Amino acid sequence: MEKFFELLTQMNPLDLVQVVFWGLAGAISFYFSIGNARVWTSISIGFFLIFISQVYGINPWGHYQKLTAYHYIVGTVAIMTITHGFLEYYVFCRTFEISGNKLIVYLSTIAILAFSGIFLLINPTPSPNTIRNLKMVENAIWVFLCVMNLELIRKIYSAIKDSDISKGFIAFGIVFICIFLWRGSDLYLQIFQWDQDWQDIIAIMTEETSDIEEYIGRVQLSRDVMRYAGIMSSISVGGAFAYMYKLLK
Amino acid sequence: MFLLPKGNPLFENLAVSKLKLPDVLAKLTNGAFTGYASFVFQSSTAILVFESGKLVSALVEGQNGKKEAGFEALSALAELMVTTGSGALNVYKLSKDLTMCIHALLEGEILYKAQELKLIDIKTLLEKVKEDHMNGCLRIYTDEHSAMIFYKDGNPLGFFHDGSSDIETSSTESQKIAGLPGAKIDLFSTQSADELMGTNLLEVTNIQKIWDNCVALHKFDIDKTNLERQERDKKVTSQKLSELEELVKSIVGEYVGKVGRGLVDKELSDNGGNTCLIDADGAEKFVKGVEKAAKLLVSGTNIKLMMEKLSTAISTAKSEF
Repeated sequence: MEKFFELLTQMNPLDLVQVVFWGLAGAISFYFSIGNARVWTSISIGFFLIFISQVYGINPWGHYQKLTAYHYIVGTVAIMTITHGFLEYYVFCRTFEISGNKLIVYLSTIAILAFSGIFLLINPTPSPNTIRNLKMVENAIWVFLCVMNLELIRKIYSAIKDSDISKGFIAFGIVFICIFLWRGSDLYLQIFQWDQDWQDIIAIMTEETSDIEEYIGRVQLSRDVMRYAGIMSSISVGGAFAYMYKLLK
Repeated sequence: MFLLPKGNPLFENLAVSKLKLPDVLAKLTNGAFTGYASFVFQSSTAILVFESGKLVSALVEGQNGKKEAGFEALSALAELMVTTGSGALNVYKLSKDLTMCIHALLEGEILYKAQELKLIDIKTLLEKVKEDHMNGCLRIYTDEHSAMIFYKDGNPLGFFHDGSSDIETSSTESQKIAGLPGAKIDLFSTQSADELMGTNLLEVTNIQKIWDNCVALHKFDIDKTNLERQERDKKVTSQKLSELEELVKSIVGEYVGKVGRGLVDKELSDNGGNTCLIDADGAEKFVKGVEKAAKLLVSGTNIKLMMEKLSTAISTAKSEF
């Protein structure tokens, strides 16, 4: 517990706020999934998993590299689950087919997370570079799937625009725009090796130099966008689910 | 149809709908029956005259006065028996001679028809009947009354008039009618009873075939009518179902939006088409399906309102089918 509070005090206040908001968003989305139709389960679980992926910052055992890597894998599973949910919703809008059940969604997610854990356990301890690679893969998948989800949301909205909950999808569109900016800016920094992780790696482990000083303006802008879009993402997710809950009540 | 003397009744008021003509004829033939059988229907009357089990004459007369005799009469009788659900059969046993006179009345040679009595010399006519040893029947009638005198070899066998049920020996009633203003006579003659025995309509007619054809034709007509009715009903049902489907779509569309119509189409398709709306189980499954899908699109309050409207519309429509 002491370690936990120590981590809290070491964290950037904005990062801490972001984790808290993701906690709220995760709780709201999980609650939403319990009392609602199955199609929402994947979407809700996905958003809840974002919270899991984001708590590495306050995880007292976060210094275990395998656990840090696991957070990023959970993040990747989160966006894939969300996308699966929106894809199902889109299929429903076109065919009105509702298949499967909630338990299967829960169990499948748990199984994927378990296999991911096993994957990490049976492999060598990831180096800081490997963890950074995992984070970059996660961001790349997030950016790509955000674009895909925006397109799915556009199509869903145009199919159901005169229904009660159509405006709720506009809210989700805003969520994905925020997430795109959040993850996209992080990915941008990673691709040009201006991210903090790379800076730490080269400072300790290699003799490589960085050109970050030459582009400090855009680096700072990207970092700000990442930070505020991250907070906006968590707030908008909580808001979107609360709004959707109100619309469906 | 004339009123005929009843003689000795063998059967009276037998329900024709339960009888088969070939069986009736076989029974009378096998019993060497002499007399006549009358089939009384609402619109027609048929008389079959038998001499010692031989069918010597058959006559069917409709209410409009149209008469059919012989083969046509048997066909018409078979058709009446098959097609009309009502009718009564009466069988009266008569003497051979009287039966001959009945035959004369029904199918004999017409010597006088609607002849006004005041224009003829009745005495001379009766003498001629006697001289010619005539077999037959003299019918004297006005618009209200009628009497018949049956002759064998020119001698009166007996007298029969409306209001009586059997042959009488007194000529009083006949004379009374003959004295009424506007009285007319018909005179029918026929062969002797022995000569009549040479005739048997049943020998030249395949009554079983006539009956079977009538039954088959009637069945065909009934089947055709049923089919037409079914098709008509089907068309009406289909029309009503289409209207109900449209109503359901408009209700769902009102709450769910334009996707509501597609949603209804899908649920109807899953439950075997719009006929499920008037089937208790089908309607329940359909409504549940719509509700389940609508939960992804509509608020709980609106779902409740929509379900109430849907249930009312379906129940109202169901009661009309």
